[in-house]
Amino acid sequence: MSIESIHLDNVCKRFRLGTANEYGRLTEAIASNAMKWLRRSSTPKPDSRNDSPTQQMEDGWFWALRDIDLSIPTGEIVGIVGRNGAGKSTLLKILSRIVTPTQGRVGVRGRVGSLLEVGTGFHPELTGRENVFLNGALLGMPRAEIKRRFDEIVAFAEIDSFLDTPVKRYSSGMAVRLAFAVAAHLEPDVLIIDEVLSVGDQAFQRKCLGKASQLGDQGRTILIVSHNLSAVANLCRRAVLMQNGKIVADGTPESIIEQYLSDSQSGGGQRSWGDNESAPSSNEVRLQAVAVRGNGVDAPTGEVDIDHEIVVAVDYKVLSNNAKVSVQIQVKDETGSYVFWSANAPSMSLSPDPWFGKPHPCGMYRSECRIPANFLNDTRYFISVLIGPEVGVTSVRQESVLSFLVHDTGVMRQEYTGSWHGPVIRPRLDWKTKSL
Amino acid sequence: MQYYGPTDSFGFGQLREVWKMRELLYSFFLRDLLIRYRQVVVGVLWVLLQPMMGMLIFMGLFWVLGTNAGSSNVAYAPIILTGMLCWQLVSSSFRDATGSLVNYRHVVTKIYFPRLLLPLASLLCATFDFLIGSLLLIPVCWVTGTAVVWSTVWLAIPIAAWLILFCAGCIAWLSSLNAHYRDVGYALPFVMQLGMFISPIVYDVERLRHVLSEKWLWLYEANPIATCVGLFRWAIIGTPLPSTVGMAMAAAITLLVFLSGLSWFQHADQQLADRI
Repeated sequence: MSIESIHLDNVCKRFRLGTANEYGRLTEAIASNAMKWLRRSSTPKPDSRNDSPTQQMEDGWFWALRDIDLSIPTGEIVGIVGRNGAGKSTLLKILSRIVTPTQGRVGVRGRVGSLLEVGTGFHPELTGRENVFLNGALLGMPRAEIKRRFDEIVAFAEIDSFLDTPVKRYSSGMAVRLAFAVAAHLEPDVLIIDEVLSVGDQAFQRKCLGKASQLGDQGRTILIVSHNLSAVANLCRRAVLMQNGKIVADGTPESIIEQYLSDSQSGGGQRSWGDNESAPSSNEVRLQAVAVRGNGVDAPTGEVDIDHEIVVAVDYKVLSNNAKVSVQIQVKDETGSYVFWSANAPSMSLSPDPWFGKPHPCGMYRSECRIPANFLNDTRYFISVLIGPEVGVTSVRQESVLSFLVHDTGVMRQEYTGSWHGPVIRPRLDWKTKSL
Repeated sequence: MQYYGPTDSFGFGQLREVWKMRELLYSFFLRDLLIRYRQVVVGVLWVLLQPMMGMLIFMGLFWVLGTNAGSSNVAYAPIILTGMLCWQLVSSSFRDATGSLVNYRHVVTKIYFPRLLLPLASLLCATFDFLIGSLLLIPVCWVTGTAVVWSTVWLAIPIAAWLILFCAGCIAWLSSLNAHYRDVGYALPFVMQLGMFISPIVYDVERLRHVLSEKWLWLYEANPIATCVGLFRWAIIGTPLPSTVGMAMAAAITLLVFLSGLSWFQHADQQLADRI
């Protein structure tokens, strides 16, 4: 199993930042080159290779990828995680040869397929039958193979009676089914899935991931870019963390996701913006700080004990008089699973919030939500804050603004000492056994 | 394991890739063909009509003007028809290929395939039209009573291949330039109009021999389109052969355009998805 399937050797990619010539005209390009040539003596040419690797911008160039070395053996399923703009999609595009690297070389064994191009290349004037052949050829399937699998593809798409109808007369569902059928029968040696770029609804994306795990079972090499961290955790056996165009970590999905999440969020138990324009705000409210307090102490903390109440405090400023404000929080765990959502509405609160539904005069407010002790599991959680005029309406939204780690103090381990890994929450519930 | 990365070769690797992906080239060609020839009769008629109309228009024009644009010994109709056929090959391949990459932008930025296939598919289509249109020569020669030179008529095939090679070089330049600089597409119709008159499409080279001195005639014949059209007529209806110097220059230019086109296309291809 140690045959290499993908090999990236010192790969760099740079893009031209939006300068005058981006979508230029030939005449402009000639003129500007002529001007450059005329002025060549006065301006010294800057060194093309900058030594500071963290600097992504450089004389009008943007380094989307820098010095990427990666080797993936055949049959491995690898997830790529990282924030937006970290270079994940560029990396996949380089692997699928759409983009040529500026430096370095890329090696791939076998046919590369990706589900991100489902339906591209369909021609509306051609019939379903003709499009299957065109699309298959476009995806790299030999004609003989398409012919052999044609019936299978058509059966999968469930469009037999429309085979000789131009695709422009198809419903969008039929077109997507046919496109997916072709892509699913491609059987690539290396499959690339970019969920960020892929179109389609949730059900369709689930179908893609289902196909991916099926192909993974057949021993194909798969690369996944996803913001759905639980999908990465479930599907992959290895993950790579990208940051600013570089690979910063490579390991098991759990450890990489943990690192990604703790890197990208402040772990100090508090996130404050102060009273300035850059803070997340709408016309009516401005978010100023979010803090987590636990362990019975008043100071914000990034780590709380499992047997203490956790207080999530949201500080905000009301900017326009008599605005109605409702504060809501969402809690997710580190695989991205949604744990719960809560708002300060009376029916969702143990005791009614005195300010709920009332017009707020201008000024500072703090809304506190108390998460009971012995409720969460000993893992990392992420808080998103939503503020709006009423419950379910959001005007300020801050995703994963803060994370905190719950420590197991052993209060629930008097009898059982094994692992609690797996469940999202670990509530202490009421148990009674009666003799009947 | 197949490696790829930035290369600075002359772009011959592209030809190998095109050969490897010839089935896709065929699919692209078939796609264009199917769309155009969906109604077979209308499609074929359209392809025959264009050179026919061109021929009739210019014959009428020169008849009204009272000028003889042909050479002395051959009827004017086959002369202009051969010219129109060649010109149709050049102009429609240039026109379709120039936009081929840009029009297919949504696929080019999503799937990899040798990009050269797109302009080449346009060229294949133009060649197909050229072959169909050539059938017109049979009735036209028969009606006008023009004697076909049977000993050299087979040479029309390598001559057409020469013209196609020249077109391939040009469209490699045009399509990739248009992907980077959109004004290429706007300038093209104007250049094509000019090209039609500096090539012997609606007249015979014979007519220029009296006007141009020998040096200028060589320069004129260095235009591969002019030479190919001249040779095409020579092979089929026996007009005089273009000068040897002119042919040599045209051949050199064809080779230069083809090789530089390949090399430039390769260079442009590397930034294509970023810039298109």
